[in-house]
Amino acid sequence: MNVITVKNLTISYNKKPAIKGVNLNIASGSVIGIVGPNGAGKSTLLKGILGLLPFDTGEVKIFGKDIEDSRKRISYIPQREQFDWDFPICVEDVVMMGRYAHLPIVGFPKSGDRQIVEEVLKKIEMDKYSKRQIRQLSGGQQQRVFLARALAQESDVYFLDEPFVGVDAKTEKAIFSLMKELKESGKTILVIHHDLGKVLEYFDKLIMVNQTLIAFGDSKEVFTPELINRTYGGKLTILQKTEELIS
Amino acid sequence: MDIINQYILEPVQYEFIQRALIASITIGISCGLIGTYIMLRRMSLIGDALAHAVLPGVVVSFMVAGKSELALFIGAVVSGILTVLLIGFVNRNSRIKEDTSIGIIFTGAFALGILLVSQLKQVHIDLSSYLFGDVLGVSTGDITLSLIIMFIIIICIVVFYKQLLITSFDPTMALTIGISTTVVHYMLMTLLSMSIVAGLQSVGVILIIAMLITPPATAYLLSDSLKKILILSALIGVLSSVIGLYLSYHLNFASGASIVLVAVTIFLLVFLFSPKEGVVTKLIRRRESVRTVLLEDVIKLTYKFDGSIEGVSLADAIANELGISNSKVQGALKKLAERNLLESPGGKHLLTEQGNDYALKLIRTHRLWETYVTKEKVIDMEHIHPEAEKVEHVLTEDLVDELDEELGFPEKDPHGSDIPRKK
Repeated sequence: MNVITVKNLTISYNKKPAIKGVNLNIASGSVIGIVGPNGAGKSTLLKGILGLLPFDTGEVKIFGKDIEDSRKRISYIPQREQFDWDFPICVEDVVMMGRYAHLPIVGFPKSGDRQIVEEVLKKIEMDKYSKRQIRQLSGGQQQRVFLARALAQESDVYFLDEPFVGVDAKTEKAIFSLMKELKESGKTILVIHHDLGKVLEYFDKLIMVNQTLIAFGDSKEVFTPELINRTYGGKLTILQKTEELIS
Repeated sequence: MDIINQYILEPVQYEFIQRALIASITIGISCGLIGTYIMLRRMSLIGDALAHAVLPGVVVSFMVAGKSELALFIGAVVSGILTVLLIGFVNRNSRIKEDTSIGIIFTGAFALGILLVSQLKQVHIDLSSYLFGDVLGVSTGDITLSLIIMFIIIICIVVFYKQLLITSFDPTMALTIGISTTVVHYMLMTLLSMSIVAGLQSVGVILIIAMLITPPATAYLLSDSLKKILILSALIGVLSSVIGLYLSYHLNFASGASIVLVAVTIFLLVFLFSPKEGVVTKLIRRRESVRTVLLEDVIKLTYKFDGSIEGVSLADAIANELGISNSKVQGALKKLAERNLLESPGGKHLLTEQGNDYALKLIRTHRLWETYVTKEKVIDMEHIHPEAEKVEHVLTEDLVDELDEELGFPEKDPHGSDIPRKK
């Protein structure tokens, strides 16, 4: 069964389509990169799949169900800049949020949840810092904390928004080996990625997007000069030109 | 004892003071707790807006039901929520940004409230007590109401702790796991309207925002933990309103103003002197650290010259090396002697065993740090030395050990010098 099915997805901001007519069938057990230039709609696509934005047209299914019925099985790691790092919260409490998905509306974390948090922190080598306020961590450590939170959620699909931005070499390696490990246990990982440098090393498959879906397939097959040029190329497609004229 | 009796205990025998005390305590707790979330979610503007916007609701409740606490409660909460909905509606359906639409709606609602008051001469409302607060005039009914409100707020914060936390810290994640930020937002707005109702009598609409913001902000300067901030904020709220109440009673101050001024005074004291981040505390710490750096530099250089230069000329050599005056170095040498780190047999300055250990510790930190930054490619060779000069004074021993372990206990630094081992 497909993990994620996207049919004819169009999402607009202020009546201008950010992504248009995207179709995807994503199977389990792979690490998939979403690449494209700035403003190509990478984040929009990701947020659309996550059900955070209203669609103009189209349909998204996760494990064959509506997103609302699959929420426990997906986790999202936002970009680091998005957070208020002065927020009074420590590492442990951030990771515990991963368990919230499994708690009833009224209900507190149990010892089992605490144990999972502890294990995850150990796994990601952050157990020494569990009581530390998040401002007092390095950029790489901060990123690892949010990875730990996703792991604590024990989900089946992971969405990562630019996880490699501003992290040290150690964290980059940790994220990469974690993605591999998750994939090997049958999970699906979608990663928004900016830099084209290590695309082939990191990702099994690529979603190349620039408003429309330019290509989706095995990295080695689609990461070709021609498709990269079409994704990043300066020339506007006919579709975009038409839209410029209409809007 | 007499003073305590006269100024603090004696007033308590009056019933109106008892009522005022209970009202002060409950409002301190309610506002301190809700205000913490208002502060963290950067919503102080909307808090102020709501405080003003409950006025028409209060007046209408008077028109309909006379002086009834229940009607007052319902009127205030309804107009509070209506205001929030209207602000959102204007915001969503035009290009006007949120702060502007807040400004438009709340002043409008407030003006409407004043107009209603002035037109309803047959209903007696003491407008000034709503505007400026009159904690000494609270009735038993008011107290029952604010106690109920306090318990509702405490229960909601305990029961929905995780929803409030996650929507405040990471609303996107809240949405992805199916926690509605809208529902939590309106719950918080309802609780906020309720705490405003509770505070109307004692602080008044104009100043109640201070009770919602100042105690949490003070608590925030004192702690990094949300739970501690909630408790501290409630305590500071209680303290401010009780002290303010006494000032109001003894000196005949307007109660709202004196409560708020006490809260602001506590804030200023913490802002200046808090042990972690106080402005004055930091200043003192910086001066101390300048002194420590000088002493440590002198120790290191004394170690380096190792008795090869004698007496006064050692001070000269050190002063020359550090680019400071000879007298400063003399002073530092004297302090080192006082601390048994240095002895001067026959005019020759030599480090004691203790002083020697200290110097080695500094050198170890310095060289480990250089090794670390070179390995991690943080900065290039040319720049690491001056950087390490600063770092060696501030790294704690634990951190240095951690560094050592992470580097695999290296023997040489990038310049090829030996790294002293830990004793």
